[in-house]
Amino acid sequence: MDLGYVSIQLFNGLVNGAFYALLSLGLAIIFGVLRVVNFAHGAVYMLGAFAAYLLLQQFDIGFWPALVLAPIGVALLGVVVERLLLRRLYGLDPLYNFLLTFGLALFLQDAMRLRFGIQGQPYPTPDELSASVSLGPVSYPVYRLFVIAFSLLICVATWYLIERTRLGMVVRAATERAELTRALGIDVDRWVTAVFAIGIGLAALAGVLAAPMRNVAPLMGSELIILTFAVVVIGGLGSIVGAVTAGFLIGVLASLGAVFNPAFENVIVFALMAVVLLVRPAGLFSSREAA
Amino acid sequence: MKRVLALAMIAAVVTAACGAAAPTGGASASPAQVTLNDGKLVIGVINDQSLVYADLSGKNAVEAVKMAVEDFKAKYGENALGGPIEVITADHQNKPDLASSKAQEFYERNNADIILDVPTSSAALAIAKVANDEKKLYINITAATTDLTGVSCNKYTFHYAYDTYMLAAGTGKWVTENLGKQWYIIYPNYAFGQDMEKSFRGAVTKFGGTVVQSDGSPFPNTSGDFSNLLVKAGQLKPQILGVMQAGGDLVNVVKQYNQFKLGDQGIKLAIGLLFDTDITAIGQDQMAGVVYTTPWVWSMDDQSKAFADKFLKRTGIRPTFAHAGNYSAAWQYMEAIRRAGTDDADAVVKQLEGYKFNDFFIRNGNIRAEDHWVMHDALLAQVKPASEAKEKFDYSKVLGTIPAETASRPLADAGCKK
Amino acid sequence: MTRRDIALLVVGIGIALVLPRVLYSALALRIVLWALFAVSVDLLLGYGGMLSFGHAAFWGAGGYAAALLAKAYQLPFPLAALGGIAVAMALAAPIGYLAIRRRGIYFAMVTLAFAQMLFYVVNELRDLTGGENGVQGVPKILPGISLGRTSDFYYAALPLVLIGFFVAYRIVHSPFGHVLVSIRDNEARAQALGYPTQRYKLIAFVLSGGIAGLAGSLFAIGNSFASLELLHWTTSGSAVLMTVLGGMGTLWGGGVGAAIVLLLEDSLSSVTEAPGIVTGAILIAIVLGFRRGLAPALHTAAVLAWARLRAMRAAREA
Repeated sequence: MDLGYVSIQLFNGLVNGAFYALLSLGLAIIFGVLRVVNFAHGAVYMLGAFAAYLLLQQFDIGFWPALVLAPIGVALLGVVVERLLLRRLYGLDPLYNFLLTFGLALFLQDAMRLRFGIQGQPYPTPDELSASVSLGPVSYPVYRLFVIAFSLLICVATWYLIERTRLGMVVRAATERAELTRALGIDVDRWVTAVFAIGIGLAALAGVLAAPMRNVAPLMGSELIILTFAVVVIGGLGSIVGAVTAGFLIGVLASLGAVFNPAFENVIVFALMAVVLLVRPAGLFSSREAA
Repeated sequence: MKRVLALAMIAAVVTAACGAAAPTGGASASPAQVTLNDGKLVIGVINDQSLVYADLSGKNAVEAVKMAVEDFKAKYGENALGGPIEVITADHQNKPDLASSKAQEFYERNNADIILDVPTSSAALAIAKVANDEKKLYINITAATTDLTGVSCNKYTFHYAYDTYMLAAGTGKWVTENLGKQWYIIYPNYAFGQDMEKSFRGAVTKFGGTVVQSDGSPFPNTSGDFSNLLVKAGQLKPQILGVMQAGGDLVNVVKQYNQFKLGDQGIKLAIGLLFDTDITAIGQDQMAGVVYTTPWVWSMDDQSKAFADKFLKRTGIRPTFAHAGNYSAAWQYMEAIRRAGTDDADAVVKQLEGYKFNDFFIRNGNIRAEDHWVMHDALLAQVKPASEAKEKFDYSKVLGTIPAETASRPLADAGCKK
Repeated sequence: MTRRDIALLVVGIGIALVLPRVLYSALALRIVLWALFAVSVDLLLGYGGMLSFGHAAFWGAGGYAAALLAKAYQLPFPLAALGGIAVAMALAAPIGYLAIRRRGIYFAMVTLAFAQMLFYVVNELRDLTGGENGVQGVPKILPGISLGRTSDFYYAALPLVLIGFFVAYRIVHSPFGHVLVSIRDNEARAQALGYPTQRYKLIAFVLSGGIAGLAGSLFAIGNSFASLELLHWTTSGSAVLMTVLGGMGTLWGGGVGAAIVLLLEDSLSSVTEAPGIVTGAILIAIVLGFRRGLAPALHTAAVLAWARLRAMRAAREA
């Protein structure tokens, strides 16, 4: 176990963390404003990857445009879903929307399987990023470094959006003091669709980033969603900074844990989740007290 | 005698006319008088039609069985078995309890005489138990576990196409002798992976190689990430990276192996189990040069190509070895009924045990009576670069044959007590 | 017991008795056992307001324990099931102790986390559990009676299943059950009235775990194997789905939900190529259209039909 290996694992952890951060960030802002635990988030991640694949396959549109187009396309789908389905269940027990999105995930995965088969589709790494750079003793793929940097950039941009703009103000207010915000006469509902679309777009973006390095297949997000739940809970449901920090933290911890025993990756995450829920139920990075 | 000959000739002409790759069974000429127990033969196919194995077996494996039935009738006449032949099917979604329950329904309610296919080892083993309880036949094709002919073997269960021992005996030996002696093995941490790791370790060591280290990857691999193992491989610098992951996991490993450019560092890839569908998902050029063991390649000879052409016309894809195996198993089962003159399970088992045969799928076949492993030659195949492919699904070429004896686990190691 | 309850009981037992004749016995067995499992989830969710998204832990723990006991010691299945119940309850006590400190979605997530850990641990302990292959070849033993066929086992196990349902019924209709409901509706008030609410919730959790353990034990023995599928999060999800589908807080809704889900799964497995699309669409439709579950809807329909019948008879007599 030399230091070189451990430090490379740190980078690998950050790459995984980059995906967790994007996914849990989307999940967190959706939960924060809509009080919906979006079970279909893993399916959205899959749709993002497939959107990139289809753009390339059908229209010869490459990775860079796909990075913008695919999330927008999937987010528009999200708008339809929010308007047609989720909207009917606001104000009821959150359990119902949880189940609705569970059904939606099953539906989307199966529909994609019928169309594209289960096995997966190839997607190339963009040429500009296919080189490797030397990181100490090993060469490290540039694409992975790009994933870390780009994800950080998006997370910071989202943070800025939420800290510095009117949309963000409403989101924050609604997240932290929902009743009070409404009482002040702010029309939270108007912003709900926009927030849902952003959350969905972030997941789809993670999917596009994943396409060159993960199997683009209908079930690619079906197990990942459970792990993302754990990340969001550790960061604090609805906490924006918490989701991102926890995402990167879990990625790194699991990767470092894998230095000792690769099979323990999963257990580490859920053990940490249980401990956090019991000791700091509002999440590691939240100052609030939760139920 | 003359009539028999004439009949046989007509049959041959008919088959040829249909372009059927009719297997040439050992005793196919006897015009048997068959009596079916309940007046009909029911063949059940239970497999995964909606999840991870849906492409490599799934609905199209059912089509393969239906093709076998049609071709069988074309060869021996509509009334070949003295009654109608039905094919029924169920999707077990890889749930062992659903598989077990469906098997019981098939045997009890639908009077199924045999169940075929069944991927996912836990489901495969569950049905073996049901078959034994119901005293009905079961030929497994798509599951890899050696337990079917080992600790869980029984009188009514047969294992047809491949198992983890075969894969290791072929790839482990050839790669160790030809590509490199130092292995780093990575495997998914569930029954199949553990089984593969054990088998490959045995084969590598047996043929003069060493396993420097082996590591399990989490099951299920929620993150889809294998970078920690690949970086470790870069550190250990083995000559061979033995990858035992299957399906989506395998695709992830190979994509990331290429991303880390381990090939450029002289670390060669050896893959435990490879289906054509995996090559589609990864991309042929990404896989070019990889050597693997398989029971069958669709383009290996004219007989196989004929089957593959028919299959393509019917389903739109080239068959995987699981599809071909289902066709062949169904065919050989019906042949055994003809020889037995009945579909009575015990009589058919007797016909199958010790039976030696060849068909387009099975070469030098011998159904081992002791544990019901269907011994046959395996192939060593190599993925071609896309530039050498003649068509979209033309992925591999055959490098050589692994004789049935070498490809089969020695009886002494099976631990089968029927 | 009211007259209505007794009528329901008779109908329920009647259905249970003829089920293997109407369907096939393996499916009938799965339905009654999943129904019992769903009832254990409903006990917590419908009456205690606690959504456990990790009940597979107790169903699976019971299943593995019973399978291993029956296999290692050749125990008669009721004894093995007792062992399964004991292990499930022993596991439910610490998990419940920790989980009940949280509420709502947090409670669901804690239970999910523990169930996931158990899944990984069982997979790792493959010398004992057989890893992903599971414990295969579990014997069905009852001295003096042959249980070779699933229908035999169905009738042999049915009394235990009915006891499980009865225990759940008794819990709900006892003073304990009433306190539990009042905690669900307003925990602070129950506390103010002097009830040790945490202790009530813990006891409910452990009892629910025990019932799930009983169902899981019989499920494993009936199938002759215990596999990792028992512990997967989708198993917890299915149990919740059945409960919600049938109707929370009705107990018998769990049975309706289990029957619908399994009949659907069974028929879809032979009919459609797209079980996910059908199941997903039905789930969405139920959540949007029949939020209280199908059981109350069925009940309302039955009551309306009955009233109409009486009205028609009254009209005729008049």
